[in-house]
Amino acid sequence: MQNRPSGFGNPWLQLGLSVACVLVSEFLLKRGATDIAEPDSGFSWTGVNGLASPLVWWAILLIVASFISWLYVLRYVPLIVAYPLSRIVDVLVPLGCWIFLGEFISPLRWSGIALVIIGLALVAKPVAQIEQRL
Amino acid sequence: MSILAFFLIVISLLSFVVAQLILKRAMEVSATSGLHNARFIRLATIGTALMTVSFFLTLGLLQRFDLSYLYPFQGLSVIFITIMAAGVLKEKLSLRLITGTVLISAGIVLVSIS
Repeated sequence: MQNRPSGFGNPWLQLGLSVACVLVSEFLLKRGATDIAEPDSGFSWTGVNGLASPLVWWAILLIVASFISWLYVLRYVPLIVAYPLSRIVDVLVPLGCWIFLGEFISPLRWSGIALVIIGLALVAKPVAQIEQRL
Repeated sequence: MSILAFFLIVISLLSFVVAQLILKRAMEVSATSGLHNARFIRLATIGTALMTVSFFLTLGLLQRFDLSYLYPFQGLSVIFITIMAAGVLKEKLSLRLITGTVLISAGIVLVSIS
């Protein structure tokens, strides 16, 4: 993590951007895949028929953007730290469904969300301390 | 779930995990030798190709199963990537990181099955 650029080039900012792009793309992909679903066709196991949905193309655009940010993050941050942190998206997706779509979150699901957040804090804390010392 | 579906889920997960390791190695190479380096281009191409395979397999699976059913497998990727990054890339693993990783994986699985 030496010679870490600041501003827009900050790897932690890029990690956040990458996560935001993945978050939006997940919703687009599920919608696109549902719109275009052809469960009776064997070819559709490849997923390639999904390209007929415009939503899937928007999702691909966001995935490419998140991929570029992610490669940049990998240049500065160990995979062992960056990858678990990137999974914050797994709590943001259900929270997004709760806030924006009014979906119900069961107590068991809330405990899962809590576990992920505690895990993220454990992974992130040593990183925050290193950053402070720099 | 059919054997085919299980097989495709495993292939999709495996290609994703291996792609992450290869891409990390590619970016390490680029940090020392720059982006116009044959080894970087080779690694980045293989990594991107594996990510693409994983992407289309997931899209095929999403047409048949709910996202909440497929997600626990993504949760497992956290554990796999951490183990492989420590084993293959020799990244430094601590007790704190292991605990955090296990909690994140367990949490993702709980969120998905509930």
